[in-house]
Amino acid sequence: WAKSGIKYRDGMWRRRVKSEYMRLRQLKRLKKAEEVKNLFMSNRQKIEEQTNLLNSDWSKLRIQSIPLSTSSGPLSGKKMCTVEFGFPSFKPQAIAMRPLSTVAGIPFMYSWSPLQHNFMVEDETFLHNIPYMGDEVLEQDEAFLEELIDNYDGVHGDREGGFISDEIFKELVEALSQYSDHEEEEEDDAAATEAVGKKEEERVMRRTRDLSGSKKIPNEKIFTAIASMFPYKGTTEELKEKYRDLLEPPSPVKLPPLCTPNLDGPFAKSVQREQSLHSFHTLFCRRCFKYDCFLHPFHATPNVYKRKTKEIRMETEPCGVDCFLLQVYQNMLRSQRSRRRRRQQRPTSSSCPGPSGSTEESKEGDSDHETTSSSEGNSRCQTPTKLRPGDDDGEQQACCVVQWSGAEESLFRVLHGTYFNNFCSIARLIGTKNCKEVYEFAVNEALIHRVPLEDGGISPQKKKRKHRALSSVAPDNSSNQVYNYQPCDHPDHPCDSSCPCVMTQNFCEKFCQCEHECQNRFPGCRCKTQCNTKQCPCYLAVRECDPDLCMTCGAADHWDSKVVSCKNCSIQRGLKKHLLLAPSDVAGWGTFIKEPVQKNEFISEYCGELISQDEADRRGRIYDKYMSSFLFNLNNDFVVDATRKGNKIRFANHSVNPNCYAKVVMVNGDHRIGIFAKRAILQGEELFFDYRYSQADALKYVGIEREVDMT
Amino acid sequence: MAPHKHSSSAGGHPVGFSSGGKANGLYQPSSTAMAAAKKPNMQLIQADHELFLQAFEKPTQIYRFLRTRNLIAPIFLHRTLTYMSHRNSRNNAKRKTSKVDNLLFKVEKTRGEQDTQSLASNLQLTFTGFFHKAGKPSQDSENEQNSVSLEVLLVKVCHKKRKDVSCPVKQVPTGKKQVPLNPDTSSGGQAKPGSFPSLLVPSSEFEPSNSHMVKSYSLLFRVSRPGFPRTQINGLANGDSHHGRDFTEEAVNRKRRGSSVREEGETTFVAQMTVFDKNRRLQLLDGEYEVSMQEMEECPVSKKRATWETILDGKRLPPFESFSQGPTLQFTLRWTGDSPEHSTAPVAKPLATRNSETNQDTRPVTLRATPAPTVKESINTDTQTRREHILAEPRQKLRIFYQFQYNNNTRQQTEARDDLHCPWCTLNCRKLYSLLKHLKLSHSRFIFNYVPHPKGAKIEVSINECYDGSYAGNPQDIHSQPGFAFSRNGPVKRTAVTHVLVCRPRRTKPSLSEFLESEDGDREQPRTYISGHNRLYFHSDCCIPLRPQEMEVDSEDERDPDWLKEKTVKQIEEFTDVNEGEKEIMKLWNLHIMKRGFIADNQMNAACLAFAEHHGAHIVKHNLCRNFLLHLISMHDFNLISTLTIDQAMAQLRLLQNQTNKDREDEEDEEEEEDWETAVESQPELDPDHDPDPSEYRSCSDETNIVENGNHQHQQQQDEEEEEGGATGTGRMKQKLSTRGSVQV
Repeated sequence: WAKSGIKYRDGMWRRRVKSEYMRLRQLKRLKKAEEVKNLFMSNRQKIEEQTNLLNSDWSKLRIQSIPLSTSSGPLSGKKMCTVEFGFPSFKPQAIAMRPLSTVAGIPFMYSWSPLQHNFMVEDETFLHNIPYMGDEVLEQDEAFLEELIDNYDGVHGDREGGFISDEIFKELVEALSQYSDHEEEEEDDAAATEAVGKKEEERVMRRTRDLSGSKKIPNEKIFTAIASMFPYKGTTEELKEKYRDLLEPPSPVKLPPLCTPNLDGPFAKSVQREQSLHSFHTLFCRRCFKYDCFLHPFHATPNVYKRKTKEIRMETEPCGVDCFLLQVYQNMLRSQRSRRRRRQQRPTSSSCPGPSGSTEESKEGDSDHETTSSSEGNSRCQTPTKLRPGDDDGEQQACCVVQWSGAEESLFRVLHGTYFNNFCSIARLIGTKNCKEVYEFAVNEALIHRVPLEDGGISPQKKKRKHRALSSVAPDNSSNQVYNYQPCDHPDHPCDSSCPCVMTQNFCEKFCQCEHECQNRFPGCRCKTQCNTKQCPCYLAVRECDPDLCMTCGAADHWDSKVVSCKNCSIQRGLKKHLLLAPSDVAGWGTFIKEPVQKNEFISEYCGELISQDEADRRGRIYDKYMSSFLFNLNNDFVVDATRKGNKIRFANHSVNPNCYAKVVMVNGDHRIGIFAKRAILQGEELFFDYRYSQADALKYVGIEREVDMT
Repeated sequence: MAPHKHSSSAGGHPVGFSSGGKANGLYQPSSTAMAAAKKPNMQLIQADHELFLQAFEKPTQIYRFLRTRNLIAPIFLHRTLTYMSHRNSRNNAKRKTSKVDNLLFKVEKTRGEQDTQSLASNLQLTFTGFFHKAGKPSQDSENEQNSVSLEVLLVKVCHKKRKDVSCPVKQVPTGKKQVPLNPDTSSGGQAKPGSFPSLLVPSSEFEPSNSHMVKSYSLLFRVSRPGFPRTQINGLANGDSHHGRDFTEEAVNRKRRGSSVREEGETTFVAQMTVFDKNRRLQLLDGEYEVSMQEMEECPVSKKRATWETILDGKRLPPFESFSQGPTLQFTLRWTGDSPEHSTAPVAKPLATRNSETNQDTRPVTLRATPAPTVKESINTDTQTRREHILAEPRQKLRIFYQFQYNNNTRQQTEARDDLHCPWCTLNCRKLYSLLKHLKLSHSRFIFNYVPHPKGAKIEVSINECYDGSYAGNPQDIHSQPGFAFSRNGPVKRTAVTHVLVCRPRRTKPSLSEFLESEDGDREQPRTYISGHNRLYFHSDCCIPLRPQEMEVDSEDERDPDWLKEKTVKQIEEFTDVNEGEKEIMKLWNLHIMKRGFIADNQMNAACLAFAEHHGAHIVKHNLCRNFLLHLISMHDFNLISTLTIDQAMAQLRLLQNQTNKDREDEEDEEEEEDWETAVESQPELDPDHDPDPSEYRSCSDETNIVENGNHQHQQQQDEEEEEGGATGTGRMKQKLSTRGSVQV
């Protein structure tokens, strides 16, 4: 009996696990459905607002009225439509038939998002949806789909059946522990009536549990049952551990906030310079000038850059009657002590630790120590360490009565790293302190000796998405292969054969960490002409003129005008031609040009999502099936896919006798695809280019040509 | 193009495919095939005919449809074409002499006349006399014969009712008068106006009255002249009246069925004039009229055979014989009293100019109005042939041979015509050059080649395989006027796609040689001057047709589309370890960069200053100054901007700050009582000369945040977090972290 009882128990537990799990999932699903519904509704609302906006715009427009024929007009060619009723009381009604003129249909188009610059996306290891291939799925299609799904880690939402998220797991355990509590009681008091007050009890139980806050680990049976239900989730013990871990966070011991408090906010703290600037430094893309840009997954931190000019000049003139300079001067005259103090401070500012061994990208969570130490060339002052406002209270009170807020202190350290001992400027920028106070604070700061930093403690990683590692660059490059450029960073040796730029046969760009005098750097051109012949070294190297290198050709000025003397900087400036969309004369949609262009003129950049070659392979399989592809090989590492995002040139069709050609050009460190005129093109002409030169197997997508090819 | 009416027998038919040749003007199948194989078998001929039809039937049908449509709703007028200039009767000779001053004069004149006219209502007819050469002069005053009796009837043609076979006609006698026969008009002022017999038709007659809706009104004059030998006038009346159109179109021979010969020796002449046509347009204006009268015929003519004549506009000016010889009735017409219809009526123009303008318009109308417009058939055909004869004669029998080539130009059939009408649209081109040009330009589904021929011209007709049937009109029309098909009543003004065309193509002297078949195959066709945009474009985001006014704007091509702006904002918002101030500045900066599209390091100084300029107010308002400073310092660390830029940008910000502080202080004075928050907030927190103690500063910025809660969403979020304290902030963050991982063991 006992054995069977245990068995029964186990079975019961399993059933409980199952039913609870189902219930929780049901709840989840409902919640999710509700969320989706809300999102949908809000989206609808947005659309409606937009539509109303457009409608009101339209209603303001003067639109030519359609002249309707009046009844007095010739009735020839007009049919009357009559409605007759079975009941005699209803008179038959008649009205002249007015056939609408036919409007030609437009080709099919999948929705896409407009874009004027490439957009890097990560590999999709999960298939988002099973591609729809039409209503009748053929045998071969099914085989294709299976093969396709094999390429991915899974299909989105597919694993739901056996999937347990942390959240569900925790809830499941909690829900089950109710049973277990109950059962314990049951065991204690076997005669306890099930029907009476069970719920009551449970409620009490829960309340007590909630009140107690920290709760005991529930019955082991629960974990055993769960483990048996979801074997791939681990053993009973592992699950128990997991649950314990999950219980941890809500405990009163909270993790310290990962980010530095807002310097403008009320909780600003006195922190290190690097800490204050950490977000700005790590998220800023030096190549796009944007924070968290769409194109470059890695952003180098600035401290590894060398400062071009030492523009820091000491203020020589006192900024006012109360300027610290006057005071310093007096102090110098007056006492030796103050001079010593200054001398003491000087060394700290000028003496910087030697070159650091490794300047890793901040991704690695480099410590404060490392980052600062790498700023050797800038003669940047090593900012003193963290000061608790309370710590320096006493000292501050000793020399002056000025109170420094955390924000001000942080700000001072930030500015001190840039302005050094130019306290007048620092004071001006801080705004709330005068230079005398700043000076005194600086003196105090310098006196306080440094507290060693805890590694990693204050340098949280800016990482919200996992970034895919770059596909490793194979060094077996034959000359016709083009690799993606990645700024090189090897501080201990010059750009030799081990430099990634050299290995990939790319020039070093201004973004590289190497010396300006690096042999591998592209020098730019000194053209005074249009840079559209091979006379121009940039043009010859299939590069656009760099506005920071080519100073004579005009690429570096005329920012406000569309007319630039240099014709080799059109992609970066986006000097595209006005393109129009209309049904193609060949197939589907086509791109048409609004104004006439001359031979070799830049027409548009072929923009899209920047995806890895692997991802392109996966996507390509689906596109092949659809017989429509917007994939465009950029270089050995990346492919431009204009399927989801792109610009109007994506509609340009393939032709063996095209009027445009595509060229991959290095534009300020990025490979980009330019579409140029192969011959003079008249306005209104449809644009074509030969896919084959750019797309490996473009023939697949051009039905007619393929047939010709095969026969 | 004037509406031409053709009787089925009049040879106006285009190439008679199905019906074979008509006797007049069409030299039917003198085809080579036929000549060769007269006897072999009919089957071959049939097959050949089949092929011929196959090739030419469709385009011909299309062109015939277009012809009809062009008659009803002309898109353009042939006479305005350069090569048809001879069809244009107007010239611009007057332009040289016209003066601007005359315009006013003219208008004033018409005004005055209109004023007088608007008073008119009743139709007053004053008859000057009945002229007939055959009659005796009116000197013989005693003679009873010096006057004839005139009966004026108002004919009302009513709308057909369902049961009626023909339109019901009502005749209202308005009066009988004795009219002097052949009065002496040379002695002008002899007779006073009042002395002439006159009739008054009251305006009430023209108003819609009884059950029948009146379609049109016309006046029927009936003159009975006793004892006149009728034979004398017979031929005249028939033969020439066809061309006597320039005076009044009603002068066509007509006979009313009901009328009959009165008595022996008494002849009846009739004439009819439309007063109002079926569109209620006034046809008769004030003026002097001379109506040519017709002798009444006795023999009833069946309606079926009724026919009418093509008006060869201006080709053959009708002789005024009928007017010099009679019988004509002269009268003065005047509208008197007030009537609603006539106020807008134009002033009567001199007789000579009226013809070309109105007669063509009203002609079909009047014909329809009369119940049985009949012409004796025999006479009609007679005149027809006669006319054709006259037509062909001056051109020395220019004969046009149309050689139809088909079946890959292996077979051909020839048809010949004697006139210069276009076989497809029956347009009279009147010159060989015009005909060829017309064929070439208007019937481009065919290829026409001109071959000189001793008797006239040979035109080789073949199917144009390269014909582009696509819509060549304004592409906007298809979509911007989704009106009802076939609903047009007339020319519709189209949506204008305006091109300024500065083009003066070399216009070669018109010569027939340009129609000769060119040796070098396809000659370079002159490029269309408006190249390209002959299609409808669509918006790339919504696939809605591009309207012409949107052509110039390159929409959907902005650097920062809305979705991308939203994306960057969202992406930054997603960070859990970036504080709100930083996020806000980063978002602002990203949007700024995206909008301006900065690409070079050396633009950054300007970019930062522009940022301070454009977003300064926002930064100050949302209390982001220090974060902005951090941003600048960071930019400086990246070696992108100089300290000078930092100073300048911050100086600008400080300026704004002081301003807003001042504003706030001003506001504070007013709102002090109602809002204590602003009072605290308005402390000059960043005043350089002010040393606030930290606690005060803290609270002050705290208040700022609360006050600005509503201003910005993100700010609001931050504030919520801040109000709850740092602890809750991490709670939220934690949630994010926990959702990221899953129980994956």
